[in-house]
Amino acid sequence: MSGVFVRVRVVDEHYALPVEEVAEVVAYGQLTPVPGAPPEVMGVHNLRGQILPVVDLAGPLGLDATEPARVVVAESGERRAGLAVDAVVDVGELPPASERPESPHLSGAVLVDGTLVGVLDVGSILAPLTGGTGD
Amino acid sequence: MSPSEEEIHALVREEAGDCLQRMESSLLGLESGRGGLDAVDAVLRDAHSIKGSAAMVGWDEAAAIASGIEDRVEQAREDGALPPEAAGALLGEIDALGRSLGIERGTPAEEPLPGSGEGAAGDPTIRVPAAKVDRMLDAVGETVLYHRRLEHALGGGGEAVQAPDQLDMGERLLDDLQESVVQMRTLPLSTITTPFPRAVRDLAAEEGKEVELEISGAETQLDRVILDGISEMIVHLLRNAVAHGIEAPAEREGAGKPPTGRLELRAEQRGGMVAIEVRDDGRGVSPELTALVSEGRSLADILAETGFSTQAEVTGVAGRGVGLDAVKRHVEGLSGSLDVQSEPGQGTTIVMLLPLTLALMRVLLFERGGNPFGLPVTSIGRVLAVEETTSLNSRPSLDLEGDVVPLADLSALIGAGGQPLQEGCPAVVVESLGRRLAVACDRLLGEEEVVIKSLGSLLAGLPGYLGAAILENGRIALVLDSAHLLKTRIGPSATAPAEQGHDTASARILVVDDQFSPRELQRGILETAGYEVEIARDGREALSRISESDRIELVLSDVQMPEMDGFELLEAIRADDERSSLPVVLVTTLGDDESRRRGAEAGADAYIVKEEFDQRTLLETVERLLGS
Repeated sequence: MSGVFVRVRVVDEHYALPVEEVAEVVAYGQLTPVPGAPPEVMGVHNLRGQILPVVDLAGPLGLDATEPARVVVAESGERRAGLAVDAVVDVGELPPASERPESPHLSGAVLVDGTLVGVLDVGSILAPLTGGTGD
Repeated sequence: MSPSEEEIHALVREEAGDCLQRMESSLLGLESGRGGLDAVDAVLRDAHSIKGSAAMVGWDEAAAIASGIEDRVEQAREDGALPPEAAGALLGEIDALGRSLGIERGTPAEEPLPGSGEGAAGDPTIRVPAAKVDRMLDAVGETVLYHRRLEHALGGGGEAVQAPDQLDMGERLLDDLQESVVQMRTLPLSTITTPFPRAVRDLAAEEGKEVELEISGAETQLDRVILDGISEMIVHLLRNAVAHGIEAPAEREGAGKPPTGRLELRAEQRGGMVAIEVRDDGRGVSPELTALVSEGRSLADILAETGFSTQAEVTGVAGRGVGLDAVKRHVEGLSGSLDVQSEPGQGTTIVMLLPLTLALMRVLLFERGGNPFGLPVTSIGRVLAVEETTSLNSRPSLDLEGDVVPLADLSALIGAGGQPLQEGCPAVVVESLGRRLAVACDRLLGEEEVVIKSLGSLLAGLPGYLGAAILENGRIALVLDSAHLLKTRIGPSATAPAEQGHDTASARILVVDDQFSPRELQRGILETAGYEVEIARDGREALSRISESDRIELVLSDVQMPEMDGFELLEAIRADDERSSLPVVLVTTLGDDESRRRGAEAGADAYIVKEEFDQRTLLETVERLLGS
């Protein structure tokens, strides 16, 4: 796996998303919580008149709760959601993945200057969280 | 430049068309015994104005017909009433007048949708109320000003501007513009319903039947794309109902029904969709057909596939199911669905569920726990302040002029948590399908017309919400689904008493508190977690509940209460040989060490501090004590 990636920091760990799957990065701002939604959904964000669900990355990746500052607007096919991150580190090329992923939300991992960077599987993160029509 | 003769004629026709439409609905009312002298006067005024304008442009035949109508109505007014037969006869005159004026008044199915039609170059054109255009003009005006301000500031002429602020402002303005354009795309259902009463009346007369059509929810807004073509489907369903559903007067009387059949056309927003319902109280489908339904297929499928008729003989009008496949295909083509319910002998209800993708909704906005929520105003009966509550099946209720309506905290209903409600907080009475529920919140924010947006693919299928709306201040309000609220609240509890005695799956918990909101908060959390909850308002009531039911497995009690407080309740339970081991949790206020000491002495199993009260603490405590 190689190409251009957006590197983000979640708590004290580094992750990367393929740049093709990132529409933009916006300030975390004010979220409106959605009672009854799965716990991963922190709320919805007003993205220029569109309702954007914002997903917590820390929980699913097994990290402690954080106070995110940025929302990475991720897209996979027709699906679109915001991923809450602490910071965007940089945008650049990554060497091919060398390590085995340790989470279903990762497609691989790579060592960059001694830091382990997990490559996020955006498709799996954006899969619908609510089962059917529920109730 | 003065208008051409052609333009004047067009204007006269347009005005006369409006007059004719009003006269027709007044006469239809008078024919079925509604209206009285006001309606007679209204017909007279319209006949008079048509007579005047027709004479002015030299249409003598039309002027003469209008004059004839005027004379007959004038006479009726002097007599003090316009008898129904006379009103019926005048309807024929109205048609003649329309023909003479050259006004197209075809059958509703053939009538083009008002507001859409062919423009000069063959492009579809739309007619839009001036107010909607004005709103767009306002938005454009604001945008122009914004641009000038920005230009000025960047040219160094004004005070420094903050780029993010300006971007936000621009975004807001563009949203306004977008919304005003969307508004132009929507029309109320009433734009297509006006010809229906007449069509039903005429068809019923042909069939020798008596049918009264009632239309409700005609103000429901629909996207033009959806409205276009749906008129034909509705007419088809109405025709079917008159021709096949509703019986002849003699047959109806034989079956113990009133001779006049009832036909209802209702529209409402429901679960993210617009439901258009056609309901008759006729003979319904045959029992043989309803028997087929239990084999896994819906009645709509069966009727659409086979063209089954509810009537044995084939009449000139298509059989009940004939053509229903066309309606079904049309509705499904719009990503909607068709549902048919029918009770032999009782009538048939056909519901077209259509998407509301672009539909506009007027919502009442209110706040709970610092977040705004909305409910469609069409689903709200009234709004009031919660002062005095009564109890129905040990559940809090409001007495609305003798009608007992259950009351629930919005937070408890949707599982949101939050601070307890204040005394005298507002409650919104939600009505749907004949059921009512008062939903309590922190404060009302007012009414706003909003575009309902989807919560996104990630949350698709999350029940309870119609979607979300972006408010004027940029915040997001979740728009609640009233039908779901009523189901959450009333559905499970209404069936609970029937299950008594053989339900061991969920533990029953008694919540004791003299104040409404903490009680409701606790109840909501516990019920959401699957427990059954009973309510008592003081220690004495709690004791009698405990002695009446041996199914209570845990008591959650406030400390300070009138009559008998939490300590006295605890002591009484511990002193009762049969129930001394019943787990009791005391809910105390912060820093009340004295209560804790007294509670410990009396044998409380756990404490929960009101100020630190949250869902997790409560559920963990309860689970621990119940050993589940």
